[in-house]
Amino acid sequence: MAHEARSAALREFFTPLVGALGYKFTPDTELADFLLEQEAVLEENKGAPYCPCQGRTRTREHDMTIVCPCIPYHRAHFDAMRRCWCGLFVHLDVTDPAVLPQIAASELGVEE
Amino acid sequence: MSDPVFVYSLSTCPWCRKAKEYFADVDLLPDDESDRLADEAYSLSGSRAFPVVKIGGEVIVGYAPERFAVLLETQA
Repeated sequence: MAHEARSAALREFFTPLVGALGYKFTPDTELADFLLEQEAVLEENKGAPYCPCQGRTRTREHDMTIVCPCIPYHRAHFDAMRRCWCGLFVHLDVTDPAVLPQIAASELGVEE
Repeated sequence: MSDPVFVYSLSTCPWCRKAKEYFADVDLLPDDESDRLADEAYSLSGSRAFPVVKIGGEVIVGYAPERFAVLLETQA
């Protein structure tokens, strides 16, 4: 993994932050490792560890809302799915992330 | 002939990769991986979340294979 050191640092940095929000890293370690590596790539290329599955608009107001962990900015949406959009984090009580699908905020009737 | 399928994706997104794998046997429109299409995807979906999948006139946000299957069936 080309960005192994930075991925490990992001994991250490994020763990207490998301724990305080009621989330944890997905138990799918392969997915978590891939997403953390992509965030390290985005940080290197775009300046911040943006969500790998949300598009930047290149406007600061929006783009700050998709810097990982972006849970506080999408709380209602993510709480309804019991996972964040990219799946890096899941609710603390989740043991099988495979049963938690991506559902658009508009379909859940919540703000994105 | 059924309508083409268009997958708007991000190269960093594993769910986008899964969506493209799902449609491996379907004719995707070309140039299906580009940040420059993000605005087009937003105009379709009203969301900055990816993947965005367009099947005929229907737009789905997220990796949702069950819904993909239903829409492909109706397109066939």
